[in-house]
Amino acid sequence: MSDDPVVDPVTLEVTRNAAAAVCEEMNANLIRTGYSPNIKERRDCSCALFDADAEMIAQAENMPVHLGSMPFSVRAAVDRFPRESLAPGDAILLNDPFYGGAHLPDLTLVTPVYHDGELVAFTANRAHHADVGGSHAGSVSADSTEIYQEGLRIPPVKLFEAGEPNEAVFDMILSNVRTPDERRGDLRAQEAANETGRRRFAELAERYGTAELTAALEEIKNYSERRMRSEIESLPDGEYSFADVLDDDGAGTVDLPVEVALTIDGDEIRVDFAGTADQTAGPVNAVFAVTASATYYAVRCVTDPEIPPNHGCYRPVTIDAPEGSLVNPDPPAAVVGGNLETSQRVTDVVLGAFAEVVPERVVAGSQGTMNNVTFGGRDPRSDEPYAFYETQGGGFGGRAGKDGLDGVHVHMSNTMNTPAEVLETAYPLRVARYELRADSGGAGEFRGGLGLRRDITVRDHTATFSLLADRQTHRPYGLFGGGDGESGSAVRIDPDGDAERLPQKSTHALPPGTTVSIRTPGAGGYGDPSARSTAAIERDLRAGKLSVERAREAYGDAAIDEIGEPNTDPENGGERPDE
Amino acid sequence: MSSDGARVGVDIGGTFTDLVTVTDGTLDVTKTSSTPDAPEVGVTEGLERTREATGIRFDDVGFFAHGTTVATNAVLEGDWAETALVTTEGFRDALEIGRQARPDIYDFQTEKPPTVVPRHRRYEVPERVDERGDVSTPLDEAAVRDVAARLAAADVSSVAVSLLFSYENDAHERRVREILESEGVEASVSLSSDVLPEIREYERTLTTTLNAALKPVMDRYLGNLESEIADLGIRSDLEIMQSNGGIITADVARTRPVNTLLSGPAAGVQGASYVAGLAGVEDLITMDMGGTSCDVSLVEGGDPMVATDVEVGEYPVNVPMIDVHTVGAGGGSIAWIDDGDALRVGPRSAGAEPGPICYGRGGTRPTITDAQLLLGRLNPDAFLSDELSVDVDRVEAIFERELADPLGKSVEAAAQGVLDVANASMERALRVVSVERGHDPRDFGLVAFGGAGPLHATALAAELDVPRVLVPRTAGVLSALGLLISDVLYDYSTSRVRSWEAVDPTDLRVTFDEFVARGREQLADENLSASQTRFERSVDLRYAGQSFELSVPVPEGPIDSQTKATIRDRFHARHRQRYGHAYEDEPVELVTLRTRARGVVETPDLRQDAVIGEVADAVAEERPVHFDGDVRDTRVYRRERLPTGAAFTGPAVVEGAESTVVVRPDQTVEVDEYGTLVVEVGQ
Repeated sequence: MSDDPVVDPVTLEVTRNAAAAVCEEMNANLIRTGYSPNIKERRDCSCALFDADAEMIAQAENMPVHLGSMPFSVRAAVDRFPRESLAPGDAILLNDPFYGGAHLPDLTLVTPVYHDGELVAFTANRAHHADVGGSHAGSVSADSTEIYQEGLRIPPVKLFEAGEPNEAVFDMILSNVRTPDERRGDLRAQEAANETGRRRFAELAERYGTAELTAALEEIKNYSERRMRSEIESLPDGEYSFADVLDDDGAGTVDLPVEVALTIDGDEIRVDFAGTADQTAGPVNAVFAVTASATYYAVRCVTDPEIPPNHGCYRPVTIDAPEGSLVNPDPPAAVVGGNLETSQRVTDVVLGAFAEVVPERVVAGSQGTMNNVTFGGRDPRSDEPYAFYETQGGGFGGRAGKDGLDGVHVHMSNTMNTPAEVLETAYPLRVARYELRADSGGAGEFRGGLGLRRDITVRDHTATFSLLADRQTHRPYGLFGGGDGESGSAVRIDPDGDAERLPQKSTHALPPGTTVSIRTPGAGGYGDPSARSTAAIERDLRAGKLSVERAREAYGDAAIDEIGEPNTDPENGGERPDE
Repeated sequence: MSSDGARVGVDIGGTFTDLVTVTDGTLDVTKTSSTPDAPEVGVTEGLERTREATGIRFDDVGFFAHGTTVATNAVLEGDWAETALVTTEGFRDALEIGRQARPDIYDFQTEKPPTVVPRHRRYEVPERVDERGDVSTPLDEAAVRDVAARLAAADVSSVAVSLLFSYENDAHERRVREILESEGVEASVSLSSDVLPEIREYERTLTTTLNAALKPVMDRYLGNLESEIADLGIRSDLEIMQSNGGIITADVARTRPVNTLLSGPAAGVQGASYVAGLAGVEDLITMDMGGTSCDVSLVEGGDPMVATDVEVGEYPVNVPMIDVHTVGAGGGSIAWIDDGDALRVGPRSAGAEPGPICYGRGGTRPTITDAQLLLGRLNPDAFLSDELSVDVDRVEAIFERELADPLGKSVEAAAQGVLDVANASMERALRVVSVERGHDPRDFGLVAFGGAGPLHATALAAELDVPRVLVPRTAGVLSALGLLISDVLYDYSTSRVRSWEAVDPTDLRVTFDEFVARGREQLADENLSASQTRFERSVDLRYAGQSFELSVPVPEGPIDSQTKATIRDRFHARHRQRYGHAYEDEPVELVTLRTRARGVVETPDLRQDAVIGEVADAVAEERPVHFDGDVRDTRVYRRERLPTGAAFTGPAVVEGAESTVVVRPDQTVEVDEYGTLVVEVGQ
C-alpha cells in the first residue's frame, strides 16, 4: 500500500456501499414517483450524492451525460447560495447551461443535508423535462440560434425554502411551459427523491458521527483517485490525437471539426480540444460541463469502469476547451443539441484518440447521435395539448472480439424507448414500424451494430415535428480496417405515398396521416473484414441483417461462394430495403 | 387434490435436493445431492432414503408438491426449444431491440441476453388493433396461412403469437392460432393474450416467447418425474410451485412454464412466512443465504410482496412473482483487497467446490465462512457435516497472508472486516426490499434461513433496527416445507388503460366476473370445495400520465360508483405509504384488472413434541467468540437439546444440523413450541 489511508479499508467499503445505496434509493424513488414517461419509462434522469464541499461522492447510473455534468450544477448552486444563505428544507433548482446546467430541458435540483445543525452533504438529481417552453413544443428545437429561443432559463433559485414550496418560482416556471401539470408532477418527484436521499444520509451521519463520516467520504474520493491514477499509470505516455466532424449546425454551417489531443503523462491525462470549430449559430454548442462529461465518460470506459465514479476519479484528468468554441461556448449561444449531439462527437474523438493507446479497449465509431424527435400539438381525443419527446438508438461500434450491439443507445445516452402501446395510448400517434436496418453496420472482423428504423404516423390532427440528429452525411468511423457505418436519414411520407427526405435538424407541421420514418446510423466495424469468420457472415445472412449483395461487396465473392446458396438466403423475408 | 395421507414436498436446489414429509403430524427431513443432468433421479434417491429412514408408505402419499429449477436453468443457460414468433407487421425486431438500453453503460464488452427467438424465426402478419381494442387493419389471413406453410417446413417445436394491443382485443391472436392449427402446424402455440395480457409489447412478447420456448423443456421433465414417482408407487398428482408462491397442477405448469421461474425461492419465502406466522409475526423480511448468494424478500400481513417487473437472467419476465432480491454474498464469497486498497467481498465465490478453505477441499481463497470460523462462530470440530474436515491453522495462515498483513490488522480484525463488508452489501439488499419500497424495517421481523443466513441475521437486524429475528427449526429445508403449506393460486389479468373517472362500474364487474368464473372452474377441476375457494380482486392504478402502477385491492361485493371512490381513496393512501405523498386532486387512471383465485390448503400441524429438560443440559461447550473486536466467553448450545420454551441471553451460539445461529451479547432468545428460535434484538 503506497498511501496511508486515515479511514480503514473496511470502513471505506462499508460507507461506500452506504453512499451508493443512498443514490440508488433516490433513483428508485424518482423513477417511481416521476410524472412523465420521460422519467418513468425512458429514465432520462440521474441522482447523485455530494459532500459539503460540493464534490461528488456517489451516483446512480442511468445517463452518462448527466453524471459528469451534474457536479457543475451543484457547484453553481453553492456558488450562488453559499452555506450561510442555506437552511434545512431548502432546495435549489437550476437549468441555465451557462450557470451550471447542460441544456434547458434538464432541470437539476440540489438539496442541502444537515446534521446537528451543520451542513454535511448535498443530494442532487437531474431530470429531462418534456417541455420547458421556448419556440417549439418539447423544447428540443432544431432551429434556435440563441438560448432565448430554447425555453425558460433558470439560474440557481430556491424552489423550496425551509420545506415550503416557493410558489412564486413555481408560478413563474409553470406559466412558461406547455404542460404545466406534468412539470409540477415531475418537480415534486425530484423534490421527493432528494428528500429520500437527505433522510438516508442523515441516518448515516447519525450512525457514524459527522467527523467520521466526513473522513470516510474524503477517503471514498481518494480511493477512486488512487485506482484511476494506477490505471492511467499503466498506459503508455505520449500524445495522441483524433479529429472528426459534426455534420452541420442546423443553421447553414456544415462540417464543423471536433478535434482532440490527448496527453498521457505518468498518472495524469490532459485532454485538449484546440482545433475544434468556433461556437456556431445553430443549437449544437456544447457547454463545458457537457464536454467534460463526455470526456470523463470515455476515460472511464477505457480504464476500469468498475472504479466507483466520483470526484476523485476525475482529479487526474485535465480538460482544456477553447473559449468561444463549439465545445465551450459563450452566451447566448444555442445549446440544446450540444448535450445531445455534440457530446456524442466529443466521445467519438476521445475514444478515437485512445484507439492508438488501448486498441483492445475502445470501440469503433458508434451511431454518434441521439436522433431526437419531438411531436407536439393538441390531442383530438381529449382536446388537451401534448408534447412527446424521444430519442432513438442505433448501432454500437464493433469491438475487439465482438460485433457491436444492434439498435441500442450509445455512449452519452442510455434512455429506454417508449413502448408503442404506451405511446399510442398516451399520444395521438401511431408507431407503424420499429425494426433493425439491414446492411447498416460497417463491415469488419467484428462488424458495427445495426441502426434502427422507426416510423411514426400522426393521427387525426396536425402535429409539429422537430428532428435534431446528426451522422446523416459523415458516417461513423471504422477502426483498424473496419468499414464505416451507414449514415442515418429521416423521410417524410405523405398519406398519398409521396416521400421526401427531411433535413436532419429541422421543424415541420405534419398534417393528419403523415408518417416520419427515422433511420438511425449503423456503427463502424472493427478490424479487417477479410478476417471475419464465415460463420458470422452466414449468421447475418440467415437473419437478414446482411444482404447477399452487400456481403459480396464487403467480404468478397470467395467468402460468400464458400457459404453457398442455400445458406445465404434469409429464411424469413430477409432485409427490407429502406423504401 | 386431496390432503389426506402423507404429504411430500421436494425442492431441488443447485447442490441439494431437499425432501420434507409430514406423516400423521410428524415432520421428517431428508437431504440428498442434486443430480443436475437428470433432476428426477435425485428426487427418486431422496424418496428411497426417506422411506428407509421413516418407513413412509408411498401408496399413502396424498399430496406431492415440487419446487423446480428446470425452467430457471433453461433460461440461464439458454437451453430451450426452437421457437418461432408471429407478430404484427413492422414489429418483428421489437423482441430483439427490447427497451433499446444497453445493459451496462460503461462496459464496452456488455451484451444483451440472447434473443429468445432468432430473427429468421420471427414472422410478421399485417393486422392492427388500436389502443381501445378496435380493429384498424383486419388480420391478413392469407399472410397467416403463408406463415403456417413456412412454420410447417421449419424445425420449430413451439410458436409464440404476440400482436400489438392483444390485451385489449385478443381476436386476432386467437384467429392466428386457429389458422395455424387448421393449416397443420403441430408445434404448440402460446398466445400473449393468455400468457400476459398486459400493456408493453416488448415485455409481453418476451414473456410469451419464453413461455413457448420452455414448454417442451417443462413437458419432458415433468413427464420423466411423473413416471419416476409413479414407478415408486406414488399415486397422488404432481403439484408444482409457481413464482407467485402458489401451487398449480403439473398439467397447468406444462402450459405455463414461465410462471415457475422462481419456483424454489418462492417456496422458501412461503415457508418462512408460514413459520413466522406460527410465531405471530405477519410482517417479515426473509433472508436466505447459501453458498453463493443471498435472497431477500418482504412479507406484509402474511402475504409475500409480489412484483410484475422481476428480471430472470436479465430477461424482464412480467408475470407475478414473489419479489425476491438477490445479492452475490454467500458463505463462499471470496474476500480480497483491490488495487485501491479497499477490502472487498465477492462477487466471486468459491461455491461448494472447492468451497471455503475450511472445507478442506482445496479452497485457497479467504471466504465469509472462513471468517466466521476464525471468529469462533463456527465449530471446527463439528463443522457442517462429518464428511468435511477443518484445518484452522491453514485458514489463519491464508487470512494472514492475503488480508491481515496487507491491512495491517490482526487475523481476527481482518475476519471481522470481511463480515462487516459482507453485511454492508446484504444490508443494501434488505433496504432495497424494505426502505426503497416504503417499508420501515422497525415494523418487521427478520426470518433467517439457508446454511449461512442465521450466522449473519442478528448483526443485520441490529444495523437495521429490526426488533426480532426468527430462525425456523427447518432453516435448511424451508423451501421444501413451503411446498407443503402453500395455497393453490391462479392469477388472471388484463390491461385496460382508461380514466378511472370514466370507467363504467359494470365493465369492471363483467371482467372480474369472468376472471372469477375461470378461477372457479379451474379450482373445481382440482377438486377444491367452494368453502376452500377465495377470490382476491385488485386493480393497478396510477396518476394519469404516470407509467408505474400500484395494485389496490377491490372490496368484496358488487362494484358501484361508491366502490370506485373507495378504491381511488385506497390508491391515494397506498401512494402516500409507498412514496410519502399523494396527489388527491390529480386524475387517476386504470391500467390493469387482476383477480387471484386461491384454493386454501389445509396445513399440517407442525408442533413438535415438547422437548423436556434444562437449558443448561443443552450447553455443549463454552468457547471464545469475537464480537466487533471483543472476545467473549460464549456458550454453545445444541439446538436439538434446547427444551421447548427455553430462554437464555447472548452472547450465544446455537449449533444445529442445518445451520448455526449467532446470538449477539445482550440479545435474548426463546424457543417457541414449534422449535423456532426467536431472538429479541434490542437496541
